[in-house]
Amino acid sequence: MPILSEDKPQRRVKGTSLDDTDRRIVEVLTRDGRAQSTTIGEELGLSGNLVSNRIRAMDAAGLMRVVAVADHRIHGYRLVARIRLQVSGRAPIEIAEQLAQRDEVLSVHITSGRYPVSCLYAFRNAREMLEAVRQATADIQGVEDVDVELINNVYRYVPTVGPLGT
Amino acid sequence: MPMVTPEFLATDELDRDIAVMLAQDARLSFRKIAADLGVTEGTVRGRVKRLQGAGLLKLVPILDIDRTRDPTGSPGFGQHMMFITVKCANGKLDAVREALLAMPQVSALYDANAAPRLVAVCIQPSLEDAAAVMNSVVAIDGIREADSELVLQSIKYNAAIAPIATVADLHAAQAASDLA
Repeated sequence: MPILSEDKPQRRVKGTSLDDTDRRIVEVLTRDGRAQSTTIGEELGLSGNLVSNRIRAMDAAGLMRVVAVADHRIHGYRLVARIRLQVSGRAPIEIAEQLAQRDEVLSVHITSGRYPVSCLYAFRNAREMLEAVRQATADIQGVEDVDVELINNVYRYVPTVGPLGT
Repeated sequence: MPMVTPEFLATDELDRDIAVMLAQDARLSFRKIAADLGVTEGTVRGRVKRLQGAGLLKLVPILDIDRTRDPTGSPGFGQHMMFITVKCANGKLDAVREALLAMPQVSALYDANAAPRLVAVCIQPSLEDAAAVMNSVVAIDGIREADSELVLQSIKYNAAIAPIATVADLHAAQAASDLA
């Protein structure tokens, strides 16, 4: 239930969880990331000061931040593909680290399953994509097979996690 | 995916610069952004509104992904990221897609043009929860094959750029531009 009290941004140790009030604030921010603290407070029955302190504290502790996620088109990329690599005779992480150095590679994960290296790769045009696939097969040592999934339609995108790098 | 960018999706350098500034902190004041980029506050406000309207920019709270690697991570944080790749039976693509969209655990869903293939991204607090999602997915009628891949380690994660404009966003933006 709404608690009308002021509290100072608390120091939190890494790993400390969000409490119920934090979660309710985050929920409102999910609808409008730029909602004013006072507006959020009115909705939740909290003071604007408390809300802004909580937001600042979550940010300072590296727990939560409101960020902008831009569609690849804003950055001049027309195509995005998930490219997965089958690897043999070499540690997948070496290949992942090699790929991670490229700006066009938005994310690289080591995953379970047949393709240990999975990345999200953005391209300005189809030629760039073909070239990247050719390179991955021919020039990166240890790559056995490449699976390319060109992302066609996006039906949902709800970002929930990201690197906050405290 | 159309190779010619329709007018309602066209963006310029100012749009990109604004997106880059907001990527670090989406609650940054428009006045500060305007001052840094040498434009008026009204321009920044208008640009952000337009990009949001077209589904090209989303201002959202995110939780720290580093906790996905922390086994003692607190409850409520996504700790396990899973990609589920689904191949659908003939004529079942739409039904399978709707069934996946009905699952709140699916945080991203897209189709890839290689095949009638759908890829869902799920972030779950525990392996048990991830298994429960997989069980529900496999039970969906019309799925011929479902593969799950767990993310064991993230080497790079650029959370600021992604294919985020959904089919619904694009339709809405198209409709709005047709009216204008």
